[in-house]
Formats: sequence, C-alpha cells, structure tokens
Amino acid sequence: MSNGFSRREVMAIGGAVASTAAMTPLARARMMPQDMDRDVFAGVVRELRAIVGDEWVFADEASTISYRKSGIPDLRGEHVPSGAVAPANVEQVQAILALANRYRLPLWPISTGKNMGYGMATPASSGQMILDLKRMNRILDFDAELGTILVEPGVTYQQIHDYIEDNDLPYWVDVPTVGPIVSMMGNTLERGVGYTPYGDHFFMQCGMEVVLADGTILKTGMGSIENGNTWQAFKWGYGPYLDGIFTQSNFGIVTKLGMWLMPRPPAYKPFMVRSPNVEDVAAITDTIRPFRMNNLIPNGVLIMGALYQMSMFNRRADLWDGEGVIPLDVIQRHARANDIGMWNTFYALYGTDEIIAAIEPILTTAFEATGADVLTEAEMGGNPYFEHNKTLMRGGMTLEEKGLVRWWGRSGGAVAFAPVAPAKGGETIGQTQLATEIMNKWGFDYAPAYAVGGRELHHIIFLMFDKGDDEHSRKAEQCMEEMITRFGERGWAAYRSSVSTMDLVADQYGAANREVNARIKQALDPNHIIAPGKQGIA
Amino acid sequence: MHPRRGRLLAGLTGATLLSGVGMATGFSMSASAQATYEIEPRAPEYLYARTCGYCHGHNIAPIIRGRALPPAVTAAIVRSGMGAMPAFKPTEITDAELQALAEWLAQSEADPEEHGG
Ligand SMILES: Cc1cc2nc3c(=O)[nH]c(=O)nc-3n(C[C@H](O)[C@H](O)[C@H](O)COP(=O)(O)OP(=O)(O)OC[C@H]3O[C@@H](n4cnc5c(N)ncnc54)[C@H](O)[C@@H]3O)c2cc1C
Repeated sequence: MSNGFSRREVMAIGGAVASTAAMTPLARARMMPQDMDRDVFAGVVRELRAIVGDEWVFADEASTISYRKSGIPDLRGEHVPSGAVAPANVEQVQAILALANRYRLPLWPISTGKNMGYGMATPASSGQMILDLKRMNRILDFDAELGTILVEPGVTYQQIHDYIEDNDLPYWVDVPTVGPIVSMMGNTLERGVGYTPYGDHFFMQCGMEVVLADGTILKTGMGSIENGNTWQAFKWGYGPYLDGIFTQSNFGIVTKLGMWLMPRPPAYKPFMVRSPNVEDVAAITDTIRPFRMNNLIPNGVLIMGALYQMSMFNRRADLWDGEGVIPLDVIQRHARANDIGMWNTFYALYGTDEIIAAIEPILTTAFEATGADVLTEAEMGGNPYFEHNKTLMRGGMTLEEKGLVRWWGRSGGAVAFAPVAPAKGGETIGQTQLATEIMNKWGFDYAPAYAVGGRELHHIIFLMFDKGDDEHSRKAEQCMEEMITRFGERGWAAYRSSVSTMDLVADQYGAANREVNARIKQALDPNHIIAPGKQGIA
Repeated sequence: MHPRRGRLLAGLTGATLLSGVGMATGFSMSASAQATYEIEPRAPEYLYARTCGYCHGHNIAPIIRGRALPPAVTAAIVRSGMGAMPAFKPTEITDAELQALAEWLAQSEADPEEHGG
C-alpha cells in the first residue's frame, strides 16, 4: 500500500491547477443541450442567474468540473451535463421549471449527486443541466415521539446522525454503506438499501412534497389536509397512492421527504457467519430466508463475498500480480489470513439482553448446520471486516467501501449491476456462477455481495475497472451489457441501474411498462424537461 | 414553505422504549432553526472529520495531513475528484470553507492515529 501522492504527482497536479479541467483527463468537456443554440443557452444562463444568484449557476468548463465526474465508463461522452443550477428554495425550483418549459431546457435533479456506481451526478443524456438541490439542506421536522423526520434534498445521513447525537434523541438512522456524503432523499428515491431493521428505505418513507413540471406543489398522503398533523405518520392517504411514481422517476422534483426512524434499542448484538466455500451461499440463503420472513432476523442481511470485502482495504496488486483474474485459491488464502471465509454473512439482534439471549441459539444452531462458524464480538472484535458491518447494522457512519473504487489503481472506476431474485439458494448459486463466468471472460474479478430483504435478495456486483484506460473501460462497458442481457434471459433484472444502461434495463421490464410510464410522463411533463431518459422514460 | 416550522419536538413526556429508557422531556429545539452553512461556515476540523477523514488516514485513501500539500492543489482535487475520490461541489463545501480547509490541511501536523491507503 502506498502512503500518499508521490512528489511527482503533486508537482503534476500543482502545475495543472491553473486549468482545473486539464488535471482530470477523465472528465469530458461540457456539452450543450441538444437542439439549443449557443445564444439561446447563454440567455437561459442569464435568466437562471437572475433566479438563484450569479454564484449558483455553473456554466463553464472550470465551474462544472464537479458535476462531470463519474466513475462509470462513458467512452462516447453520452453523460455530460451542460451546466448546473442550484436553487435555495421551492420558489426558485418553480421559477427554474417555468424557464425550462419556456426554453425546453432539460434538467437533471440531484440531491447530493453521489449516485456512485450509477453515474454520480451525471445525466442519462448529454446536455442536460443539473438541478442541484443540495443547498436545500435542512432537517425541517423531527418528531421525537413518533420518530419521524422531514428532510430537504441536501440533507446527508451524516447530518441526521449528528442531529440525533447533538440532541440526544433515542433513534437510529439507517444508512447505505456510504452514509456520510450521500442524501436520505436521493437514496430513498432510488429505493436504496441499508442494514438495520429499517434497511428498506422506501418502505420506511412516509409523505413527500413534489414540484411538478408545471410548478404545481403536490404533497402526497396526508400532507395536503388542512391543519393536518399526520403527514409523517400514515403513508397511504386517500385514493391512489402516489409516492411510488416519484421514485426512480422523472415525473417531478421531490423537495421534501418524510421518513421513519428506528427507536434506538437498549441492546444490540452483531453476528458474522463465516462460510468456507463458494457453494455455501446456497445453504446460507436458505437458512436466512425463514428467519427474515418470521423476523427472528430483523435487519437487512449482507452475505459478503471475500473479494468484495478485501477490495475495501486492499488494491488488486496487493493480492495478485499474475495474469488474468485472481484465482479462487489465492482469494481463499488471503481470506483465511484475514480470518474471514469465502462468504461472510452479517446479521444482528436488537432489543433487550433477554430477547437476544432467547433468539441467539436458534440462529446459531441453524447457521452452524450449514458448516459455518457463527462468530461474535468475542471472537471477531477489532477485525476490520467485522467492525465494518457492525457499524453498518447500527446505522453508523463509514466510507470504507469507497475503497473498492480504486481496486485497479489511482484512476478508479466502478459500475454497479444489482439484479434481484427470490431469496432461494438455487438463485444465488445460479447468479454467482453466471456473473463469475461473464466477468472472468472479460478479465474482471467477481466481487459480490447479496443483500437479503424479506423474500428477495439484491445481488450487488461492483464491476471494478480502470477508468484511466480506455480499453479497460470499453471492456467494462461490454461486460456490463452482457451481464444485463444474459441475466435478463434467465428472468433476472436489475432493481436500479447506471445512467448508461437505463434503456437496456427498461426494455427488460416490457413494452407495456414503458408505454404506461410514457403516458404518465406526457400528462405530467409534456415538454419532457425533467430528467429525460431517467429509467428509460423519455 | 416550511409547514412544520417551530412545532416540533416540544412537550415530550413519558415516552418509553422497550426497556423503559425514558426520553428527554421539554426538548424544544426547532429543526428548521438549522442554519445553512452558506451563512455559518463550518470549521476545517469539523469538515475533515465528517468527510475527508473517513477515507484519508483510514486505509482507504492517501494520508494528507502533515504533508504541507499546497492549498491550491487540495482545492483543485476536492472540486474535480481525483481518481477514485468523488468530486465535492460548491453546494457541498463553499469556496470559503474549501479555502480554509485547504489552508488548515497545509499547516496540519501528521496524526499518528491515521494509517495510509
Ligand atoms: C462503494 C459503494 C457502496 C454503496 N453502497 C450503497 C448501499 O449500501 N445502499 C445503497 O442504496 N446505495 C449504495 N451505493 C450507491 C449510491 O452511492 C447511494 O445509493 C447514494 O445514496 C446515491 O447518491 P445520492 O444520495 O447522492 O443521490 P443523488 O445522486 O442525489 O440522486 C440519485 C438519483 O435520484 C434522482 N433524484 C435525486 N434527488 C431527486 C429529487 N429531489 N427529485 C427527483 N429526483 C431525484 C435523480 O435521478 C438522481 O440521479 C453505493 C455506492 C458505492 C460506490
């Protein structure tokens, strides 16, 4: 492991500071909205400045650099924004939408724009202007009796975590593995996951405020009842339930989001199940399922592959400098040296010591019957892999998994594929075999994790590549396409996708789905100004 | 715009958890009183601990304290997101905050607790 930037690198960076764009060969030059000529664009930028103030419109090469950064392959410059605009409040969002309708300016909304593995802040097609909602960054409501929170788009999990600690509130916030820098809003709208009992984020969402393309402000559920106080307590409201159509969607701009928080339990005990062989994933899955269904295991369980885990703290060259993908026996050897197995399953118990003592032996017996070791703090305390998941299963803050992005070296690069399947052993074995075959064929290491919900699992596959090398990026792109296609042939589709594969995945969900989405889009946003291409919706 | 302003967190009594852990009563801070950092800039140490320090010095990314990194270099890297690092936008860390952070970093001592990445 190296300890820092080399002197040469610092010099090189220093020399390039004057022209920020030059120091990041990976970032592409800004691209104009399609069908808009430069003068019109310049006029639009002037009007945007009048709405939000000069300093919150970014429309040149240097100031848009942050918005162009992404870790996924983009060889043909298909996901390059034209600029960004950052409103401070709902009124400014409405004014921007009115302007966008007038000039047909496509807007790509982001909350914190850290959609890592899926394209960060970059849009589904080039030329869109990023609508950066990060300045709307306040916790608007925290009901300490109900454990509910109402947040603006820019509120990060770290901010909520700090708020809870500063005010000594008896709640936990459930986080994705990258909590400190990402938003509750963006994550929940993408239907992201975490690892406490409140890990299915959209399940725990309650009420939202949406600004529609024509400026209408819609409060879902109980939010529009005059003098109402039930907005964050009751999800369903009256009539059709609308919240779902604003997730993974381009039907509106969400400006407020309600969520439920987990009461902090008096006792918490994390477990790790260490399985020695790749095939063990089937038995592990079949063991987890009934306990997730009857809730004896209450949290979002992670079955972590050894290579996924080791990619956090190591670079590829630390493990392997031979030809081709890293052989299984090498992975096994390193795993053993780190006291982990080929699969390591993390679950936790919450409640009182008595409750935990009653459930623990039931689970331990079941997992041991699969040939695994069931380990606790007593055996694993201090082991970085155990500590990592121990932190996550109590909603703690960590960015350790970011380490996997630099698996191949400094340039970084990772794109995610996350197919879902029923939580059955045969499915995990089938998916693991197929992903290994395809990824190894293209020269990529298969570094997996399975996140087990109730009856389903998300297979989290990070395709790690070197974005500094165009040939490698090209292979990553082709490998991803083959995975999506061949998984699709087996009936397995992604729950979410990178901006580069939205049409491909949308097709797998069928023509009727696409058509219904298109009709809703036409009704709500006839000029198609909000995030065209999002989830394959024009 | 802020429908719940001021009515939250007040008058809480007697709520208990599973084990009877009592919650604080009379807690009355309004969340909407949270000032945005455009008005109240956050200190460099605070920002370092809550963002940079999760990776740098934590086995994930290079150690950057105690290395007298030129502030202009730090600022450029933060905005562009060098390599595997994400880029941080002016809406996440203002220019003024970033400048103060970069200057603080250049002056900072190495922290023996940190380990490289
Ligand atoms: C190593 C690694 C680990 C990760 N672990 C997890 C994990 O455990 N769980 C998980 O869920 N994800 C995970 N991610 C993926 C991702 O980083 C997170 O999901 C993150 O929360 C998304 O970024 P964000 O919150 O900044 O959302 P944004 O980037 O702000 O938003 C995501 C998308 O949602 C839409 N959107 C956002 N805000 C609005 C709005 N206000 N109105 C309308 N549409 C909007 C836009 O299409 C936008 O592109 C991981 C990524 C990496 C690289």
